[in-house]
Amino acid sequence: MLLELQDVRGGYGGGDIVKGVSCGADAGEVLCLVGPNGCGKTTLFRLMLGSLPASGGCIRIDGQDTRDLSPREMANRIAYIPQYHTPVFAYTVLDVVMMGRASHFSAFETPKAVDREAAFAALEKVNALDLANKKYTALSGGQRQLILIARAICQSAQVFVMDEPAANLDYANQQLLMEVVGDLAAKGYCIVMSTHSPEQPASVGSKVLLMKEGRVAGFGPPRQVITPENMEAVYGIEMDVVTIRDRYGTERTICLPVKDPAGGGMAGASGKGGKAPEGE
Amino acid sequence: MNLSQPEIQKEAARRRRYRLLLLGMLALLLAVVLLSFWIGYYPLTPVQVVQAFLSKLGYKGEILPQAVTIFWNIRLPRILAALFIGASLSVAGATYQGMFRNPLVSPDILGVSSGASLGAAFAILNGASNWVVQAAAFAGGVAAVAASYLISRKSSHSRTLSLVLTGSMIMSLCNAGVTMIKYVADPNDVLQQITFWLMGSLTKIQMDEVGWSAVPMAAGLLVVLLFRWQINLLTLDEEEAKSLGIHIRRYRLLFIAASTLLSAAAVCLGGLIGWVGLMIPHLARALVGVDYGRLIPASAMLGAGYLILMDDIARSVLSMELPLGVVTSIVGVPFFLYLIIQRKER
Repeated sequence: MLLELQDVRGGYGGGDIVKGVSCGADAGEVLCLVGPNGCGKTTLFRLMLGSLPASGGCIRIDGQDTRDLSPREMANRIAYIPQYHTPVFAYTVLDVVMMGRASHFSAFETPKAVDREAAFAALEKVNALDLANKKYTALSGGQRQLILIARAICQSAQVFVMDEPAANLDYANQQLLMEVVGDLAAKGYCIVMSTHSPEQPASVGSKVLLMKEGRVAGFGPPRQVITPENMEAVYGIEMDVVTIRDRYGTERTICLPVKDPAGGGMAGASGKGGKAPEGE
Repeated sequence: MNLSQPEIQKEAARRRRYRLLLLGMLALLLAVVLLSFWIGYYPLTPVQVVQAFLSKLGYKGEILPQAVTIFWNIRLPRILAALFIGASLSVAGATYQGMFRNPLVSPDILGVSSGASLGAAFAILNGASNWVVQAAAFAGGVAAVAASYLISRKSSHSRTLSLVLTGSMIMSLCNAGVTMIKYVADPNDVLQQITFWLMGSLTKIQMDEVGWSAVPMAAGLLVVLLFRWQINLLTLDEEEAKSLGIHIRRYRLLFIAASTLLSAAAVCLGGLIGWVGLMIPHLARALVGVDYGRLIPASAMLGAGYLILMDDIARSVLSMELPLGVVTSIVGVPFFLYLIIQRKER
């Protein structure tokens, strides 16, 4: 297993937010993190990246305990791809990609020819070589997300951690991004991504980690984890999970939040309004 | 990889352009230095300048004795001081702008100038000698930044935000202290001295002052120059920068320490000289781009040349000397206003 988590716990001082998560992913796999807001996805990411020390459990990358690795060694193994952002300074695309090489030359050097070549090669891998000399700040959201992926590639880590990469992107760009993610997995990278749309794991995911309140609510292949029972238990609303065939005959899974038109179901509480609480 | 790819070619052209620009800046800086020996209250001809220069190297020809004194004792220390101060303030400004992810930050953001002013004012009030005043200014500047940094560590806000907050608090406190000292100072003597010191000037610079201030400035410049590319990473989100493999806290401390050395030494040598650290990095960005690998060398050279030129203006425009701090403000403020109107491109 390339990435392995064993009973990982951690938080920000005021008690653990991630309360014992075990999971793993191999090279060539996409692990999708699904769960409601505040379930600990971001905290789990920070634990994986080592920017937040775990209070318990153990994270291994390629068999090595991440606690034994320096930030530099971590950077050579696991890369973080944040949601696209607007930096304050108008860096060129190449400048941004080259920042991924920080762990490859000493702190008092500037990027060398090797680093430039690596950056160009990474841009080529995501089909964005023609953007190399453009200003990063002038690109669209989808393009910027691609550039950040290129940066991770030239960091030469094997595990990519993507924080809701599809958020803030339009349909076409989401689709493009999912294709790139699938592509990266096919090239042997291990991708861990969080998402708010359960359809994405069904289309690109090899594994799903379903989280609720810092614990694992389900882990395994999408088909086994994304079920109406699991989704209802995690999100607290009624949900249908349907599989349909698109016009090309490919099977697609979608989750549909549903509501009983008669007003029953989980939206209770009505009608008990003015009643005093029972007690001693 | 196909090296004839147009984007790769384009990037190579950009690198060549940068090298040419840097050479151009160096040539310009040398030209400004030479020019500055000629002009002033007592004009020297280019020939006299060369003769005066050679006189210390064993030139035995006919030469005006005043020319030698002016060259070695008056103009050379001034030019060197302006060169070092200009480079220091510009590099410190560029560094802080990156660290605080804000192009409108100036080197005094953590209170270095205010602390230095308080130190100097306090020393002048107590009748200290020139040498002690400068040492007090340096100590005050360093102490103010150290206080800002240490207090910010206790805050639960994000690191940069808390630094900015504590910095501005320390700044206010020091300014209140300076006002208090001015209030109690003897208006016929001490108050005048304090006011002149605060205006910023290179009028009475001595060679030995330049000598010992150059040590912290050279140290600060060397550190920033060596580690300059890493500043790029500090302009990113903290989380992101860490994931790229940088010890973000160590570098932040390193750059704060280096920038403080730079600006504290600059202030204690020349008093308050504003706007240089703010506008020169902008000018440099417009010329060489935002990558810190290129920005720092360009800022240093432009800043050095700029301040020498401003000092030339200060000593030659009117029959009396203008305070250098006033000249840099008169030039800097319109430039800055232009920037505010201009900033649409992001």
